Amino acid sequence: MKEQDKIYSSRSQRTGKFISTGAKIGRNYLKHYSKKLISGEDNQEDLQEKNAEDVYDALSNLKGSALKVAQMLSMDQGLLPQAYTNKFAQAQYSAPPLSYPLVVKTFTTHFKKAPSEIFDTFSRNSVAAASIGQVHKATIGDKNLAIKIQYPGVANSIQSDLKMVRPVVGAMFNISQTEINHYLSEVEERLLEETDYLLELKRSRKITEACSHIEGLYCPKYYEEYSSPKVLTMDWLEGFHLDQFMELNPSQEVRNKVGQVMWDFYDFQIHSLMEVHADPHPGNFLFREDGSVGVIDFGCVKELQEDFYRKYFQIMKPAITDNDEEFSSLLYQLQFLLKSDKTNEVSHFKGIYKEVLELLGRPFFSEEFDFADKSYFEKIYSMSDLFKNDKMVKNANAGRGPKDAIYLNRTYFGLYSMLHSLGSKVQTNSAVDKLFLEKV
Amino acid sequence: MATTEKKSTKKAVDIRGMIVKKYQEKLLLEGKDPTSVFAFCKELDIDEGDFYAHFNDFKQVAAAFWMELFHTNIAALESSAEWEEFKTREKLLSFYFSFFEQLKSSRSYAMLILDHKKFNLKKGSSDFSELKEAYKNWLTKILNEGRGREEIASRSKFNDVYDDLFWYQFLFLLDFWRKDKTIGFESTDEAVEKSVNFSFDLIEKNALDSAFEFGKFIFQNR
Repeated sequence: MKEQDKIYSSRSQRTGKFISTGAKIGRNYLKHYSKKLISGEDNQEDLQEKNAEDVYDALSNLKGSALKVAQMLSMDQGLLPQAYTNKFAQAQYSAPPLSYPLVVKTFTTHFKKAPSEIFDTFSRNSVAAASIGQVHKATIGDKNLAIKIQYPGVANSIQSDLKMVRPVVGAMFNISQTEINHYLSEVEERLLEETDYLLELKRSRKITEACSHIEGLYCPKYYEEYSSPKVLTMDWLEGFHLDQFMELNPSQEVRNKVGQVMWDFYDFQIHSLMEVHADPHPGNFLFREDGSVGVIDFGCVKELQEDFYRKYFQIMKPAITDNDEEFSSLLYQLQFLLKSDKTNEVSHFKGIYKEVLELLGRPFFSEEFDFADKSYFEKIYSMSDLFKNDKMVKNANAGRGPKDAIYLNRTYFGLYSMLHSLGSKVQTNSAVDKLFLEKV
Repeated sequence: MATTEKKSTKKAVDIRGMIVKKYQEKLLLEGKDPTSVFAFCKELDIDEGDFYAHFNDFKQVAAAFWMELFHTNIAALESSAEWEEFKTREKLLSFYFSFFEQLKSSRSYAMLILDHKKFNLKKGSSDFSELKEAYKNWLTKILNEGRGREEIASRSKFNDVYDDLFWYQFLFLLDFWRKDKTIGFESTDEAVEKSVNFSFDLIEKNALDSAFEFGKFIFQNR
C-alpha cells in the first residue's frame, strides 16, 4: 500500500476539505438541474453516483472518526441511496498507513519491547486498515497473528472531528441540525469506547464465548499479554471479504449457509445476549467456501436496555396497526411522535411509520426470507427518498426516534445489506415466538 | 597498573556525569547559572581543576546534556537488530521518536532550556551548538548512504543545503514538543511522522528527477 502523500491533519484543513466537497456537490446538483432543463431527463441515480464519488474522495483522505462517520452514514437507517452505500463500503480498505518506526515506538511504549523481539516475524507494512488503526501480520512459531495498532491522537481528535463534521454533513445529506445532534451524541459515545482496545478485547471474549454454540461461526482468540489500549493482538483468520467471496461464485447453498450463520449470530446477540456487535459492514467479516463466517472486529458493541428492546420489537408486531390506541401510544413512547405534533402531522407520520415498520419487520414474521429479492430493497431505498422528499417530514425539523435505536437500526440495515449482497435465503423466524406471540 | 588506570577513567566519567547532573539540578532549582565555577565546585566538593579537566565554562556543561542525549540515542538505535535494513526515511523517523521518548524523562530541564534560554526557531538555543554539528554530520552520513542505495535523489548543489533544512525540521519538532499538551505527546508523534514523510517525499527520487533527466536528454540530443 502506498503511503498517502497528504494527510489532512489540522481541524481547519479538514474542514476546508469538507467545504470544498460541499461546493462540489452543489455543482453536481447544478449540472444535474441544467441537464434536466435541457434534456428533460431526470437521472437521479447518475447524480447520486457523482455525489457519492465526491463525498467519498473527501472522506477517504481523512482518518479516525471522520472515516467512521462516513461508514456510519453509509448505513444508517437507509437514509442513503445505494450509490452512497457502495462507495462507502470501500472506505474501510483505504487509509494511509503509519510508518514502521512509529509502530515500533508504540510497541516499546506499551510493552517495553520492539515487535521483532516479541514475534518471530512481523510485517513492516500494514496489511489492512481498520477504521481507527491498521493491521499487521505476525507469527509466533506456526501461529499466525493479526495485530491492530491504533493511530496516534485518535481519542483526542474525535470530539473536534465530530464538531466539524456536524454542520457540513447536515448540509451534505440534508439532515436537520437537531437530528444531527441527536445522532452524534450517541455516535460520540460509541466512538470513544472504540478507542479502548482493552475494552474491545473484553467484549470480544464475552460475545465470542456466548456465541460459541453457533455452528459455522468462528472468531479469533485474543492475546491479552500483547494487547494494550492501543494495541490488540488476535489470531489471524483466513477467509474472503464479501466482494472477493462473491467473485468466487459460491453456490446458492453456500450463500444460504453463510447468510444463515450471520442471521443466527445477530438473532442470538439481540434476543438472548441483549448485547450486539453493532458494526455489520463488509470489512468486519470473512467468508469461507465451506459456508462458515469469521467475525474480526468487536470495536462497536451496543448494549440493549430491556425496556427499549421490548418496545422496539413490539411496534413491529404484524397486527399492531389494527389497534390504533396501542400503536399511537408506542409511537409516542419511542419518540417517533412528539407531543408538539399537530393533529394533521400525527396522522401523516402515522401513515409513514406504518409503511416503514411493515417493510422493515417483514423478515421477522416470514418463515423464510429471500434477501436476494431486489424489489424489497428497492422499496426500502425508495422509502428513504420518500422521507427526504416529504415536505412535512422536512419541516418538522426535529430528531425522531429513540437514541438507542440508532445503532440497532444500523445493525439491521447493515445486516440486511450484506445478506442482500450475498443473495441469501434465510430462515428468519426463530425469534418470532418470543417477539410476537408472547403477551407483553 | 592497568587496574588503577581503569579506575581513574571510571572516576573521570563519574565526575563529568556528576557535573552535568548537578548543573541541571541547580538550574532547575534556582533558575540561573551558578555564580562561579568556584562556588559550584565547592558545593560539589571537587577541585576546580577537576571541573576544567572536562569543561571550560558552564556553556559547555549545558551543551553536554544534549550531546549525551544524542549519543546514547544513536548508540541505542544502531544496536537494534533492524537498523541496517531501514531506509533513510525510517532511520530519521526512529531517531526522532526515540529522541523525544528519552527527552520525556528530562522534560522539566528541557522545557527550562527551551523557555529560559530564549529558544527560537531560527537559531535554536546557545546550548545546541555542539548538538547542531553532531546532528548535521550524522544526517549527512545517512543521507549519503541513502544516495548510495539510490533512495535519495542526488541533486548536485542542493545536496549541500539538506543538512541545514533538516536541522530546522529538528528545531521545529522541538518547538512543537515544547508546546504539545496531548497525553503521551501523541501530537508530537504525528508531527514527526508527517514532517519526515513530507521531507522525504521531496528528496527521494520522484517525478521531478525523471523530468529533469528527460529534459537534459532532449537538450543534449537535439
